[in-house]
Amino acid sequence: MEENIKIKKAEMRKSKRRESLLALALISPYIIVFIIFTLIPVVAGFIYSFMRNNPYMPEENEFIGFQNYVNLFNFNLPISKAFWESFSTMLLFDIVAVPCMIIIPLVLAYFINMQPPGYKIFRAIIYIPSVISISIMGIIFGNMFQGDSSGLINAWLGTEIKWLSGTPWHGDTLRWLVMLIASIWWQTGTNFVIFAGALRNVPKSLYEACEMDGGNRWKRILYVTLPNIKSAITVCLFNTLIGYLNLYGQPYVLNDLTNENILVSPIMFIQQYLQGGITYARQTGYICASAIIFGIIVMIFSAIQRKCTAERKRRTTHASDCKTYYSDKELLSGIVSITDSDNDDKWGAL
Amino acid sequence: MIGFKKEKRRLTKSERTKKREKTISFIVMLIVSIFFAFPLVYMLGTSFKSDLDLQLHPEALFPTAPSEWTLEHYTGFIFRDGKIDNMPIWMLNSLWSTTASVALTVIVDLITAFAVVFLQFKGKKIFMKFLVLWMAVPGVIGTAPSFAIYATVKNSLMVSGLGGYFYIYFWMVVPGVTGIFNLLLMRNFFLSIPNDIIASAKSDGASYMTIFRRIVCPLAKSTIMLIVLFTFTGSWNSLIWPQLLFAGESSYWNTVTVALAGYTGGSSWGQVGISMATSVFALIPIVIIFIITQNKMIDGLASTGIKM
Repeated sequence: MEENIKIKKAEMRKSKRRESLLALALISPYIIVFIIFTLIPVVAGFIYSFMRNNPYMPEENEFIGFQNYVNLFNFNLPISKAFWESFSTMLLFDIVAVPCMIIIPLVLAYFINMQPPGYKIFRAIIYIPSVISISIMGIIFGNMFQGDSSGLINAWLGTEIKWLSGTPWHGDTLRWLVMLIASIWWQTGTNFVIFAGALRNVPKSLYEACEMDGGNRWKRILYVTLPNIKSAITVCLFNTLIGYLNLYGQPYVLNDLTNENILVSPIMFIQQYLQGGITYARQTGYICASAIIFGIIVMIFSAIQRKCTAERKRRTTHASDCKTYYSDKELLSGIVSITDSDNDDKWGAL
Repeated sequence: MIGFKKEKRRLTKSERTKKREKTISFIVMLIVSIFFAFPLVYMLGTSFKSDLDLQLHPEALFPTAPSEWTLEHYTGFIFRDGKIDNMPIWMLNSLWSTTASVALTVIVDLITAFAVVFLQFKGKKIFMKFLVLWMAVPGVIGTAPSFAIYATVKNSLMVSGLGGYFYIYFWMVVPGVTGIFNLLLMRNFFLSIPNDIIASAKSDGASYMTIFRRIVCPLAKSTIMLIVLFTFTGSWNSLIWPQLLFAGESSYWNTVTVALAGYTGGSSWGQVGISMATSVFALIPIVIIFIITQNKMIDGLASTGIKM
């Protein structure tokens, strides 16, 4: 008997070992690629940021401590000035663009949720620009807003407005307007689809209850719709925000000869210096430092997002929705309250 | 009885509101859709305009006269001066690299998620926790050093010619394979497969290979589809990283998206017809994928947005 048990145990141990070996073999491709192409570059970025680094002349590399970071905050250097100017320009654009990218999809999703005839076709038409590449978007809008009379909009208006030749901080409102219109056309789809899905999942009974209590349309939106899709709004808001902090494509493709080399976002700045090849290669350490500072700012936003989404996970049950609804209901004006003490206890128990 | 029937035929208040709602939303959506479809219609129309018409009538969406309709912009970029032009080559570059990254992503995600969910090994929890934490690290930190490593290896190995081509595409395709979001998508789906199915298959003597091939993969079809769609559009449209890799290389090596970016900005002047026709051509694969799978794509996106 004991022999049998021993053999069985040995067999089990063997099969367990085989299992973990198999698992290791299966996840090793992922781990290897991840380490080589994701982990090492980030670690190297931290190391390079403390170095004078030049990939084309490795013999000149040396550690210089925090010099790159000091240079980054020394606004007298032209390169630092370029970086922070690009950073503030991008922030200014984001302050306008991000709310637009939330509110417009939300309104559209609200209308599509009424399910007009042919709503699937409308949904597809609004979503399709989101799968188009940024270059094609740039070609279309660049030609529409061409600065001379050959552009579509200028031909319609009979003017020769230079839509795309503004420089940052010096009256480039027009170019930003074009960028905003193009961004709305290009990216509304994703958020719109997510909001439409969230709106469809709002329980109908809540609307009916609100209507019974005399809530009009605005009150229904305010107290039923918005609280119920709060999680989708949080997700979209932060994804859009992080996406727009990484702004690159729109200013790159919507451009003019006169301001082709003006940098209006940090990614554009980094890209420009890396693309320069050997000319700018000695600045690699500095670029790494600026990327890290910029990355930390982006990370702060995603940390806030995590905090927000983690909080909502704890309370997204139907019961708590009802509870919120009934507590909000007291705010509705001119209604006969059915939340007497009995009902309050009932929801309190949940 | 008859009176009752008549009353039934009259719409109730809520039905009337609903009808009104539908009419209003239909009108709003129609106007919005026209705005959203307009740039695409403009692109399509302009690509058929002849050069003369482009100069004389920039305000018209479509060619102004039947004689002004032309296909020269389309034939122009396929054959020019008796030999094959860049465009078909760019398309092929894009097609093969996109297919490669889609296939690699799906395979790697499948086997990694399978190991993480169905197999026991040490460090499993740490592995997943680390990946979830890593999602917060912005990719921009790695861009400059990646490029520096890429350039250093390239210079020290002295790759050139066809080797250089494959070296660039290796750096383009492989790093994207380990997208954490896709892996989490796959893992979350695998977690939803009831463990009883796997356990009963195991007790019937099925090996892991059989479980993987006969049970897990067929069940995961819709998730695989979703990952294929996201990876396909993402990889076809990616601009920043490939643009870095292609800087200063032969223009034959570009992907379509990078090549088209060259038609934008200051340098686009005077090439309206060709750039529009090229855009239409480059859109074809994406539109085909979109038309085949649009509902799955939209529903999948909606549900991932909620689950995230």
